Amino acid sequence: MNLENYRVVFAAGSMVLMLVVAVPSISLYVSFPRGEAFSEFWVLGPNHMAEDYPFNIRVNETNSVFVGVGNHMGVSSQYLVYVKFRNQTQPLPEVTTPRPSPLESLYEFRAFVANDGTWETPFAFRISEVTRQDSSIFLRRLSINDQDFEVRSSARWDSEHEGFYFQLFFELWLYDLTSQSFRYHQRFVGLWLNMTGSEG
Amino acid sequence: MDALRSWFFFLVLFLVMYPCVVPVVYSETSETEAASALANAEDAAASAFVVVLEAERAGVNVSELLIRLNDAAEDLSKAEISYRLGDFQTAIVFSGISSETCKAVNADAEELRLEALGPKYMGVWLRMAGSVLGVVIVGIGGFWSWRFFKRRYFERILRMKPEVNSDES
Repeated sequence: MNLENYRVVFAAGSMVLMLVVAVPSISLYVSFPRGEAFSEFWVLGPNHMAEDYPFNIRVNETNSVFVGVGNHMGVSSQYLVYVKFRNQTQPLPEVTTPRPSPLESLYEFRAFVANDGTWETPFAFRISEVTRQDSSIFLRRLSINDQDFEVRSSARWDSEHEGFYFQLFFELWLYDLTSQSFRYHQRFVGLWLNMTGSEG
Repeated sequence: MDALRSWFFFLVLFLVMYPCVVPVVYSETSETEAASALANAEDAAASAFVVVLEAERAGVNVSELLIRLNDAAEDLSKAEISYRLGDFQTAIVFSGISSETCKAVNADAEELRLEALGPKYMGVWLRMAGSVLGVVIVGIGGFWSWRFFKRRYFERILRMKPEVNSDES
């Protein structure tokens, strides 16, 4: 190696050392890519497990589940959970072009969740007034966490699945700091309720 | 006599209409008040959340603040549900409780944020100063090392003796 080659090695070595020494300052201005930001959303059965979900519903019988949210958005987040009720013909949230269901919410939960934290709440519901007429069933009142709501929803006999079906579903909304409002967070979970033996 | 009769007629009319009109007016006022209280509570929650996020960015451990915000959120949900069910008085009460909690969280978060900013800025300055000093030391050290190396290199070259080879061809 001649002197010129040694000079290049010295210059490169010094540059690398300078860069190493400057890393603490550079890291203040350079943001490194984070993992994917997402939220978890779940409904668990009464035993806190993903089993024994209420399905065959009886009038005036209280059913319990747990609704939970996990925050992996990289910062603390504010969530809004809308509880909605529908029969088989009413719309669910759209999955392909993510849009919430246009149905009115009956109930809601709000939660502030720390990054990588979770939030969970018990959810109890009871059907209180049902009328059956030939091949239709009419549901008048639903109680959620001891609050009574007028539902006025009917379902026709589903011959394929042999039952009168309704669905209680939960939509997850996230507070958007830019628009300063909640926006649908493209997640929903639901419980199918078979009202066939509801009067028994 | 006619005046007395008219007066009596209006009195009866007023007494008959009173129970119908007053509750409606009261209910409308109550609904407007409840809507306004709800809007205030939502604004208070939103602004408290923004300040808590700023505090979090400043390095504050916000878990305690989030617990309090969750209490406020629960009250706000109760207020929203009561409003939807037409129970405006309850909606006003819960909105008020939620607003108060959010305002208190807002103030505490701001205080904690300001407290955390001092050490944070100090840390930034220390890192900057350390880096600048490090770069200067490496630069000067590199330069002197290079000079030392170059001198040793030339000394080594000069100490070399030319080798004489015989040309036998």
